[in-house]
Amino acid sequence: MISKSSSLSVNGTTNVNKFSCVIPNYDKVDTLSLSTGKIGHGVDLSGSIGLSISAFDCHNSGMTKQLQKTLDEKQFPLLRIKFLSLNQMPILTARPEAITGQVEIELAGVSKRFEVNYQITQNDQKSIHLLGTREINFSDFNLVPPRKLGGMIQTKDQLNVDFTLIMKAMD
Amino acid sequence: MKKILTTGLIAGCILFILSYGGLFLAVRFFPALFVAYNNPLFNSDGSRDILFYMHAFIISFALSWFWDRFKPLFKGGFMTRGLEFGLVYAVIALVPVMWISFSSLDITVATVLSWLLYGTIQAIIAGVVFAKVNP
Repeated sequence: MISKSSSLSVNGTTNVNKFSCVIPNYDKVDTLSLSTGKIGHGVDLSGSIGLSISAFDCHNSGMTKQLQKTLDEKQFPLLRIKFLSLNQMPILTARPEAITGQVEIELAGVSKRFEVNYQITQNDQKSIHLLGTREINFSDFNLVPPRKLGGMIQTKDQLNVDFTLIMKAMD
Repeated sequence: MKKILTTGLIAGCILFILSYGGLFLAVRFFPALFVAYNNPLFNSDGSRDILFYMHAFIISFALSWFWDRFKPLFKGGFMTRGLEFGLVYAVIALVPVMWISFSSLDITVATVLSWLLYGTIQAIIAGVVFAKVNP
């Protein structure tokens, strides 16, 4: 079960600054199911999270509004991450284990599959922390990075997405 | 009329190079001043770029007409006349526009002051060009 303290951050750059936009607390409770994969040692996942674009906070009201406009928040209010698979069954210990997995990200009405690098740990309270990182581009989702003052201020196409899922195992 | 257009065109070309060259250098060397432009208040899809880059000519033709009508009022050498002309424009046009912009838009004092300075320098340069070319 994915807990409410899960979070996601999007980090990008323009030619005048860097920005980090965060959804600090996932506002729903969702479940993620694991089952042994049909082929090899992989693990099938089922479950997804839906994050409100309006919940992004870029620590600067102008940047926040700009990101929400660029992601077309009015028409597509949710960023959805669908978890598809892991390359191996994770061993849940306090020591971070590096694994990879497939996800499908739906943003601004476009869905795209990505391989994500994960680090997974389990703490003493049996909370599972899944940290996922992935570079994506605005253009992957047919989005145009904003440009200002006749192109003198430009946002780079590349974004780094980090998300932390905090989960409790259920029988 | 021909003199107004010719002078406006000359000033427009000079302002185009100095304004956008200066802006390019300012973005490069003082990037922190431009962070506030990452805001939906400012056009971001490039659809108005041509209008943005035409600004140097719009202000030059307008100021060229203004100069031709009122140039006898500006006395002294061409530098003094250009400077006074630019300051007059700043007081009667820029200050009220900046005032209403700051009071109604979600922009910072630094942004408004930078626009005031930018517009004043543009008008002074245009004034010096007019005083030299169309005394």
